[in-house]
Amino acid sequence: MGLFVFLPLVLPLTAWPIARLAEQHLHPRTATRLLTGVAGVMAMCSTVCLGLVMVVGTAQLPGNPLPDGWSDPEVREAVPYDEVVGKAAIPALCAVVVACGRTLWRHGRVRRRAHRALAGLPGTQVAVLPDEVPYAYALPGGRRGRVVVTTALLDCLEPAERRALFAHERAHLAARHHRFLLAVQLAARANPFLRPLRTAVSYTTERWADEEAAQAVGSRRTVACAIGRAALVSRGTPVATLAGLAAPGPVPRRVAALLGPAPLMRSWPSVFTSVGLAAWGAAAGTAVSAMSSANSAVTMFFILYAATPL
Amino acid sequence: MAEHRQRPRRRGQGELEAQVLSVLREADGPATAGWVQERLGGDLAYTTVITILTRLLAKGAVTRERAGRSFAWTAASDQAGLAARKMRRLLDAESDREAVLASFLTGLGPDDERLLRELLEQSRSEGED
Repeated sequence: MGLFVFLPLVLPLTAWPIARLAEQHLHPRTATRLLTGVAGVMAMCSTVCLGLVMVVGTAQLPGNPLPDGWSDPEVREAVPYDEVVGKAAIPALCAVVVACGRTLWRHGRVRRRAHRALAGLPGTQVAVLPDEVPYAYALPGGRRGRVVVTTALLDCLEPAERRALFAHERAHLAARHHRFLLAVQLAARANPFLRPLRTAVSYTTERWADEEAAQAVGSRRTVACAIGRAALVSRGTPVATLAGLAAPGPVPRRVAALLGPAPLMRSWPSVFTSVGLAAWGAAAGTAVSAMSSANSAVTMFFILYAATPL
Repeated sequence: MAEHRQRPRRRGQGELEAQVLSVLREADGPATAGWVQERLGGDLAYTTVITILTRLLAKGAVTRERAGRSFAWTAASDQAGLAARKMRRLLDAESDREAVLASFLTGLGPDDERLLRELLEQSRSEGED
């Protein structure tokens, strides 16, 4: 398998251009699905390869529970630089497993605690909380999820803008955006090179919900005003931590996108544009990643099978 | 007769219910009947407090949940406020909630506010044209 086993660890870099370009050039729905798919496959491949390298590293350790044959020189030669890489892979894979486990556990805990907080209220889909901090979000789970919004946020919006807000949150629930967000979050934990995809997907899911809301209320301008007004009212409150550093933050970009023309629903961009090139680059990277991890897994299987005394 | 005059004035049912309800509203979260009795001044029997709470429950003015072997009571009109407080505590405690709660808003960066005002201004003038 040679150097192939390392490819899936660095191939996520091929997805960086599309993570940057998809925001502006693809329909948010296409972008979300594409980026989440790419991130998921690449994360799995890179974890598989890390696991394969770890087997070699673990077999070198004295007193390991693996069969003795697995530490044969032939097995070690399957992985280049086995001394260093094999041992480095052990803590790396442990870190990945712990980080992913923690993410899943936290996800479950936030959901459980939020549902418990709302338990005393009537079981309507929208829960209005009397609070002077303006915030709103979609809480997945339960029969069809709930929309949580505070009176402070509702008070600062016009009736049409309130409809836009509810349509936005309902779109999150209907399209199950939390699954995309969880998938890219796990992927970013599995391979840090996938972090830009997580940032991109958390933006494109918001854009997706914005576009759905614009269709539901029939006015892109109303949705833009609702977002802008709500953002200006809630500035200074610790609602989230995603503010951009130098580039404009996600909120002005969303408003600007809504004030511009509606995105076109194309199935796949042409190769001859920069976004097409980036998308094909990411697709090729994903394919190579999948192939080399499959190739490495099969090779490793046969080497270990041959080395195991039966 | 003299005995009668020394006993505390008999309070009307509505008055007692209102008192129990106001005590419950002061509570920071669900409260037990014993706590309510204590806060009422202690001249009411425990069973009386339970009776009043049960009557309020039938009217939908309070809710209760099991807490061990007894019930914890909450004023119904305060449920929303209680939920709001719990939710705030949750949001303040969880720094990494983005994966679960796709929120309507994210924070504004230093230049975002000015940019946002310009965009909204622009859209307003275009809307008027």
